[in-house]
Amino acid sequence: MRRLNGLRLSDLTRPRILVTTFLLLFVLLVLPQLMSLYYVDTMTQVAVYSMVALGLGVLVGRVGLVSLGQAAVLAIGAWVAARLLFATSQPYLLVLLEAGLATMAVGIIIGLPALRLRGLYLALITLMLAGGITVVLATVNFPNGGHGFLGYDGGLLHIPPIRRPSFAASDPAYFRFAVIIAIAMFGLVLAHIKTRPGRAWAAIRQSEPAALAAGINTWLYKLWAFALASFITGVAGGVLAGAIHYLYSINFPTQDSITLLAVVLMGGAYSLWGAVVAGLLYQFLPSLLNNWGVSADWLTILFGIGVLQVLTTAPAGLADQVPRDLARLARRLRGGGRSKQAAKDTPAPERVP
Amino acid sequence: MPPWADFEPFIVSGLALGGVYALSGVGLVVLYRATGVLYLAFGAVGALGALTAWSLAQASAPGWLTWLACIAVSAAVTLGYGTLFGPALAKRDPLVKAVATIGLTLILYGLMDLLWTTSGGQARSLTLPTDNSGFTIGQITVTDTQVIALAAGVVLTVATAAFLRFTQLGTAMRAMANDREITATLGVPVRRVEAAAWLGCGALSGIAGLLLADLVALDATTLTFLVISSLAAVLIARLRSIALTFAAALVVGLLHDLLTPVVSLSNYRDMTPFVIAAIGLLVLSRHRVMVQSREGA
Repeated sequence: MRRLNGLRLSDLTRPRILVTTFLLLFVLLVLPQLMSLYYVDTMTQVAVYSMVALGLGVLVGRVGLVSLGQAAVLAIGAWVAARLLFATSQPYLLVLLEAGLATMAVGIIIGLPALRLRGLYLALITLMLAGGITVVLATVNFPNGGHGFLGYDGGLLHIPPIRRPSFAASDPAYFRFAVIIAIAMFGLVLAHIKTRPGRAWAAIRQSEPAALAAGINTWLYKLWAFALASFITGVAGGVLAGAIHYLYSINFPTQDSITLLAVVLMGGAYSLWGAVVAGLLYQFLPSLLNNWGVSADWLTILFGIGVLQVLTTAPAGLADQVPRDLARLARRLRGGGRSKQAAKDTPAPERVP
Repeated sequence: MPPWADFEPFIVSGLALGGVYALSGVGLVVLYRATGVLYLAFGAVGALGALTAWSLAQASAPGWLTWLACIAVSAAVTLGYGTLFGPALAKRDPLVKAVATIGLTLILYGLMDLLWTTSGGQARSLTLPTDNSGFTIGQITVTDTQVIALAAGVVLTVATAAFLRFTQLGTAMRAMANDREITATLGVPVRRVEAAAWLGCGALSGIAGLLLADLVALDATTLTFLVISSLAAVLIARLRSIALTFAAALVVGLLHDLLTPVVSLSNYRDMTPFVIAAIGLLVLSRHRVMVQSREGA
């Protein structure tokens, strides 16, 4: 808390913050002008799935809880948002907040009993619940402008599109809107990590008995993480609803939850940048491959290899590994030239075992 | 509520399905106990075997060859994964080991979609000759495939239990379930015992894939994710008891099929394994003692 409040002006000139600000301005102002509409849509999806990856990253990377059901949580958020957007004329931002809160409530109801389980069992119970939600959604369907509580009418001839906010009706404008919402969610998570919950989560991740012994209410903070992740994913669902206009239950198959975990692990669950990398892996790469006429199956195979690679050699994922490898490469290039020179001048020193 | 006669055929199909879930569940439990790996790629490996069998059958290979190929492919892929990644991940948390098998699942899933593309709407099917022979009990027709499925479940459960109880290799597997390091110090060839468990589990996934491809559908997605139904049974047994796995698998299979004629619940019948697993786990998870988590989880 102290650190956040004590943010000084001089902190703003630190290179990391400068680079981040520059990148964000580039994404918000320049990028939509440069891209075709196809890629604008893709990048909107990247923003949505970065949020989903962010929520899952909090669970996996910060607290050490693995969820195999995030696609189902996203579907709940999208369902609630779509229902509210059809039923009411509330401002879009309010609907996003409500979708987030409703999803959070569902997350807490699921989390209350599920969090009594740990590790492998928790991961599997989330997989089971996701499977269950998928079956319910396949029967209930997404709202399409019909009446009643469920808002679905199978006989509707002209399905109205899910509306967007008036200030972000066009695709580039909606892209900017999605990015700004995503920035807000990243800020929310950052505020958690830098303060008491973040420290409690770090303690729980290291060792739950030790955290308990240190007087941390592990139950509360685990549930908190669950609630936060559900909230963020619910908001992401709300943004998704406006982005694609029409929702179908086949858009949220159970295997998406598994692929999501794969890209989050590949992107890097321990850093916030990892969530952005995961969003790009999950949405940008398929669009790119599709444009090049390469089958998306190659990507699935790549994700599988990526998971195995991350788990065996690079637990912190691409967001950590790529900068480190680049730095190492740069060092080697620089150092390589020098050592060749040095090798000419002096005999190589004996290696100390 | 529909009349009882409507339910009768579904008892038979439910028991057959339950039998396959049981043999899958037994394979999963044995591998988990010997190596600590919950093999989430079980369904995908079985699907790969079944699709290989289909391709061989298209090339008019004899039936027995396709079945053998199915089991051999599944066993080989599983053993290959086990020898490549088993030792590397041996000391990690069971959760990490399970997530790693998701990696294998994705690789196989992508590969199957590439090699046996489903677009174009062509439906594949794998039929066993036992589909056409059978007998009737009262009004119900029972095919020999259904009998084989249930019998395979029963026989393999009993055989596995006996194997674990009475053979040297089985004893070694049970010892490793307790403590891998201590077992190794006692002179048990840990790697070789693990390899045997991987091979056995792979062969079982091939058998399950073959039977499910016939009983349910020959489709990569369906078969890959049917493993979740067996997982439900395994979870209720807390990854430990083979007998409980068998019983839970039969209940899952039976309930799933018995819901089919109930109109109001028919659409939700695919939820059966999830609901049973959720209730079972939450009830069974009471009164548990917290254990020290391992480093590097």
